[in-house]
Amino acid sequence: MIAFRYTKTDGAEYLSHLDLLRHIERTLRRAGIKVNLSEGFHPHPKIFLNNPLGLGIKSIAEYGAIDCEADDFQSLFNANSPAGVKCLGFKALDINPNYANTIETCLYSAEGINEFSVEEFLGRKELVIVDKRGRTADVRGRIYGLENRGGKLFFTLGCGTDNLRPDLFCEILEGEFGGKARGLIKLEAHGEHTF
Amino acid sequence: MKINLDELSDLLLGVEKPSRYTGGEFGAPAPEEKKFNFCMCFPDVYEVGMSNLGIKIVAESFLKRGHGADFCFTPWKDFGEGIKARGVPLYSLGLKKPLGEFDMLGFSMQFELSYTNMLYMLDLAGIPLTRRERAGGNYPVIAIGGPCTVNPEPLSDFVDIVFIGDGESVDADVADIYLKHGGATEEFYKEIIKLDGVYVPALGNKVKKALVPDLDGAIFPERITVPNCESVHDRAVIEVMRGCYRGCRFCQAGFIYRPVRARSVQTLTRQACSLIKNTGYNEVSLNSLSTGDYPNLRQLIKSLKSELPEGVTLALPSLRVDSFDGDFAQDARKTSLTFAPEAGSQRLRDVINKDVTEEEILRAAESAFDIGYSAVKLYFMLGLPTETDDDLLGIGQICALIKSVYKKKKRSKPLRISVSCSTFIPKPFTPFQWERQASDGEITAKQKALIEGLKGKGVTLNWSDNFTAMLEAVLARGDKKVCKAVRLAYLNGCKFDGWGKELNREGWLEAFRQAGVSPEDYTRERDESEVLPWDYIDVGVTKKFLLAERKRAYAGKVTGSCLSSCKGCGLQSDCPAAGGEK
Repeated sequence: MIAFRYTKTDGAEYLSHLDLLRHIERTLRRAGIKVNLSEGFHPHPKIFLNNPLGLGIKSIAEYGAIDCEADDFQSLFNANSPAGVKCLGFKALDINPNYANTIETCLYSAEGINEFSVEEFLGRKELVIVDKRGRTADVRGRIYGLENRGGKLFFTLGCGTDNLRPDLFCEILEGEFGGKARGLIKLEAHGEHTF
Repeated sequence: MKINLDELSDLLLGVEKPSRYTGGEFGAPAPEEKKFNFCMCFPDVYEVGMSNLGIKIVAESFLKRGHGADFCFTPWKDFGEGIKARGVPLYSLGLKKPLGEFDMLGFSMQFELSYTNMLYMLDLAGIPLTRRERAGGNYPVIAIGGPCTVNPEPLSDFVDIVFIGDGESVDADVADIYLKHGGATEEFYKEIIKLDGVYVPALGNKVKKALVPDLDGAIFPERITVPNCESVHDRAVIEVMRGCYRGCRFCQAGFIYRPVRARSVQTLTRQACSLIKNTGYNEVSLNSLSTGDYPNLRQLIKSLKSELPEGVTLALPSLRVDSFDGDFAQDARKTSLTFAPEAGSQRLRDVINKDVTEEEILRAAESAFDIGYSAVKLYFMLGLPTETDDDLLGIGQICALIKSVYKKKKRSKPLRISVSCSTFIPKPFTPFQWERQASDGEITAKQKALIEGLKGKGVTLNWSDNFTAMLEAVLARGDKKVCKAVRLAYLNGCKFDGWGKELNREGWLEAFRQAGVSPEDYTRERDESEVLPWDYIDVGVTKKFLLAERKRAYAGKVTGSCLSSCKGCGLQSDCPAAGGEK
């Protein structure tokens, strides 16, 4: 099993998850990397990606695992992948890192939100939002960190079971403090098997 | 100027399939500025255009000569209106360069209902629609190519250059001449009309279509753009042959792409292997107007099967789903067969020279049923010359026969038959170019008869919209006056005319009124002595031959395939099948 970290930038942030999976499959075929197939009636190549990233969000911390062997995986992959989908590193694992379930939090950054007191914000006990379907939820517990470094916000949000979408988080801040989030990007993912 | 996608992020997030507008595909031409920059424009959405092989061939012909080639497709209305509102000009996918900054834009005109989309693209690019409005300004050369250009009259006000015929070499020749003259000067236009296949409406030159005599050695892109989102035909395509031996009398492609030229098994195998290697696709489609007629089909399939990597499947025409050496040729997981008898009775099939018999269809269907196929699609035309209700009844009879073949054995799935009936549209350079198109009322009556005839037979029936068919007919055989109507229609809000729901009927009717165009003048029968708007174009097939074919149609005489004997269409000296005989 090869675990790899890759980007979604340069326009690739607009690829849907399904299209992305298709492009990774084709990249591997072009690269001549043989991927083991699942068993069953409709065998498909065993490629496991982390949870889908919201459309339009850039990332330099996407993770995936592929049931294959290749010593020069990174160079082969990058020579055959679309412009914004590039491998940043990889390692061989004995197990499936199951990124969709093992990544717990992710670090993002964005600019353009009006200045506000991070301390006051983090001091709150709850942060109740109304989602698109009209349900209310307290998302305070899904915010693991927030920092303002030179006007740029860095924030760590829950991923997976206590997921909070970074674009939604930006909208919350915009609604409360004004401004318009720009340059939203996922910088790191934290979990047992990330690197 | 370069468009920055990040500045469009709000818009991109609000539209359907934003990856249509972002470029960056694997296999796309490197985004590099060259001395001459060409943008291949397609007047339909990304997924449709990306399936088109022709535009990739044309782009390759520029790249091969060291020119720049980029792509642009019609944005869907959400994105189109969005960039317009923001004052952002339509841009190319690779360089993200506004279309107005290219040296030449080439529009691929594949069917008549995309004419308004070409104007939509020009408008979104901030380029005036007509040649007259562009005169003296700093705009790209606007060129068109593709099958519709055999009658460029309805587009003649909008374009500077019309490419007629095979574009592989001529397009890039024009680029070289452009560089020699330092731009689109008067001398440039005077020089390019000396080339075959180049028509300059401002000069009104007579023109002979461009012809690639050796398809085997012709330019073919062995590395192509793999689209960001799934295209209509998302697979590797090899062009097995150009042209068709059959000469069905309604079929424009069957005449304008003559003579038939085929690629060799060796070349096709090499191209298929490179395409698979360079795209990562796992299906190869064998393209031509009639792949079943490829003389070495058996060898080709054998060669492809042995050379292509394991797991790559072949898509073949339904009539040849038969086995070769006990090994089934078609190995993709297909469930549906498609046949195009075009007419319901043998009599009418003889009239249109459609050389397919009921027996052939039934035989192909039976062998396909035996390997598990359970669905059949049938294509027919309504309103063909000499058609009567008896011919329409024949459609039901074919369905019944297919059913009885299916019922010969016990099969696990129920049979599904779907029948699609499109309305006959007389097209230039066919033996039916003089025919009238049946009126709205006549077509409606025929559709009713057909619905009646198929009732209770368990057949799904689809038919084409009458207004759309009329519009296509007017544009196909239009003259300069129609040009005005096309412009007015666009200004009235018409675009995506071929998209069913998008068709703006009122906009078109108003445009016809404003332009003083009466559609009936264009759907009427033409007199054989009349000068036709496209007569100045020489596609190689003689008018004499077309007239003779028309007479044979009315006599119910089949002419048959060029493979049985040369029929003397006018292209004998260029035709490999005719052996160059005069």
